[in-house]
Amino acid sequence: MALCKLNTFINVIRHNTPNPILCKSLTKTNSVGYCKPLLVGSQRWLFHESSRKGGYETEHKISNFQHLKNGFKELKDELKLFKEEVKELIITDPLLVARPGETDMIWCFNEPSKLESFTTTCDSDHNEGFSKCSFDMSSAGRGLFHGYLDTRVPKDGRIKKAGYCAMRSKRVRKSFKRAGTYDWHLYNTLVLKIRGDGRSYLLNISCEGFYDITWNDIYHYVLYTRGGPYWQIAKIPFSKFVLGSKGRLQDKQTRFRFDRVTHFGISCGDKIVGNFDLEIEYIGLEFDPTHNEEFAYEMYKTDKYIVGV
Amino acid sequence: MANKILGHFLRSRPSMMMFKRWESSEPEKRVTIHDPFYSQPQKNKETYLEVVKMFEGRDNRRRGHVEFIYAALARMKEFGVQKDLEVYKALVEVLPKGKFIPKNIFQAEFMHYPKQQQCAVDLLEQMEDNKVMPDTEMEQMLLNIFGARGIPLRKFWRMMYWMPKFRNLSPWYLPEQLPNDTTELAKLAIQRITSVDPDTKIEIWQTEEIEASLDKTWVVSAQSEAQKILLAEQPTDDPLVVKGPFNIYLREQVVNYFLLIGKIRPEIKDNTDPDDVSNIEKPRGIPGLIGTTTLPAVRQTVHEQDDGTIVSVCATGTSSRDSLLSWIRLLEKYGNPQLSSIPVIFTLTAPPSEMAIQETQPAIKDSQEKEESRI
Repeated sequence: MALCKLNTFINVIRHNTPNPILCKSLTKTNSVGYCKPLLVGSQRWLFHESSRKGGYETEHKISNFQHLKNGFKELKDELKLFKEEVKELIITDPLLVARPGETDMIWCFNEPSKLESFTTTCDSDHNEGFSKCSFDMSSAGRGLFHGYLDTRVPKDGRIKKAGYCAMRSKRVRKSFKRAGTYDWHLYNTLVLKIRGDGRSYLLNISCEGFYDITWNDIYHYVLYTRGGPYWQIAKIPFSKFVLGSKGRLQDKQTRFRFDRVTHFGISCGDKIVGNFDLEIEYIGLEFDPTHNEEFAYEMYKTDKYIVGV
Repeated sequence: MANKILGHFLRSRPSMMMFKRWESSEPEKRVTIHDPFYSQPQKNKETYLEVVKMFEGRDNRRRGHVEFIYAALARMKEFGVQKDLEVYKALVEVLPKGKFIPKNIFQAEFMHYPKQQQCAVDLLEQMEDNKVMPDTEMEQMLLNIFGARGIPLRKFWRMMYWMPKFRNLSPWYLPEQLPNDTTELAKLAIQRITSVDPDTKIEIWQTEEIEASLDKTWVVSAQSEAQKILLAEQPTDDPLVVKGPFNIYLREQVVNYFLLIGKIRPEIKDNTDPDDVSNIEKPRGIPGLIGTTTLPAVRQTVHEQDDGTIVSVCATGTSSRDSLLSWIRLLEKYGNPQLSSIPVIFTLTAPPSEMAIQETQPAIKDSQEKEESRI
């Protein structure tokens, strides 16, 4: 009974005096289900990031015993992988120069098994929108990133904007589940053979590091598509990529570390509602000796405490 | 004791404490919402600016200007002014000058007047989302309101650094204002598709030229000389295929286009050893000097893609099957007489006019919960 009254009291406060301090203290004291609408507005914890997923964990919790069992099952494959690694270390000499003008493919989507190196996400996965997407084989036998982009915002009072679809490569790893990185330092150009629908897409190169400050660093560039049945080859120099963190362009720009690339991805979020199709034949790298630009964006000297704050 | 007092306090009726002042015996006299945007008879730029002027003139102190700006930002699409820089300037003008400028370092550091600054940042962000680039006048206005240390100024400078860099980056130029005429729009789309071959000729035909046609509409068709030759060389027993509709986006406008696709020419395998000098052939000819000047018979053109030879591209006014039939007849009439002897198959998905887009928002959580409970 007293709880009931307390809740009506909270409601009164909510409607008449939006006092955040009071609201917060009250939500702590009562444990009724609808303390949630009191905390309107997103809360940010700015001191550190607690997880790489940023609150979007989808992993299933399993018991330690199950974990152990699964680990033993995978031990054989991991040992095999480790053997290959050691073999490679002994046998191969490292490649020192890339052949100019030749494209080295990283991903060539010519059979269904090749599509498994990518995962797709969209805002409807976490009930944050209504977009849908998938990465399949097209009728021409290539990778097809397609779906429906929807900018409608779910009416939950929390989300302001919606509408994105993305595909991203899985984290490259070494044996025993050690995280690895792509080493692209021989090259300076990204090459994609694509067939789009006239929309523009976003290319994302993630360079996650050890510390949480770098976990959300993604280097972006726009991929314009012509549209139509003709294939196009897009060559984008690495120097053009701009640094963003959680989608916001940063004031202090640097080019990315070519040997520390963790993910590559393409996303569609151009605020245009409708179906999208992007057919990809391959994603490759090239060394272009004529391109000697180090970084495409100039930096200016400003007053103290204006930039990067 | 304290618990008792608190319990008594909570048990007393809240309406006695709080509601009494707003309660009225007559329901008509209760507080109603006044929305000047809603009451406008015509929704255009003039009436929008009129409402902003009305707000400015109503009260010297401009109470509730942050709430007003947020309300005005939300109504922009309704009035069709979301791409108009002048309107954004009028909204910035609502904020008072001078009051929000920090006077010491502590004010500057700890975000002086945070609600107002956040409001201006949100306004700038909406400009960015609608691809409206601010100008130096806007900078002056913001400087007068928030001073050089304000957060909105930082947002403004960031916008002025990045937006010009990305504004004209697209390799396929589109005019600022897309044409309203569907024929012109289709022509732009077909031009964009066929920009791979600069030789392509784009023609606009009327289906009325074909007597048997039912749909009286236009056809924007594109074909290059190379495609004409490729069509002429198609075997007469294998059918050509009309495929579509496919989408091409010109910003937010979608144009449906169709393809006429033929067979790929067989690849010629050259097994001769270039190092074998026992039997050297006379060279086929160096153009302008000796021999014949005709080009080799098999030539890889851009139109020969790996899933077929694209013979022609078109967009029609109705995208109907009948208009596509008229397109084939028109192609036959204008320079492709072989089409009379080659069969053509129409593999079309349902006409786009029959498609329906789901308008209502599907309920997210409730329906899922219901489904779970059913299980």
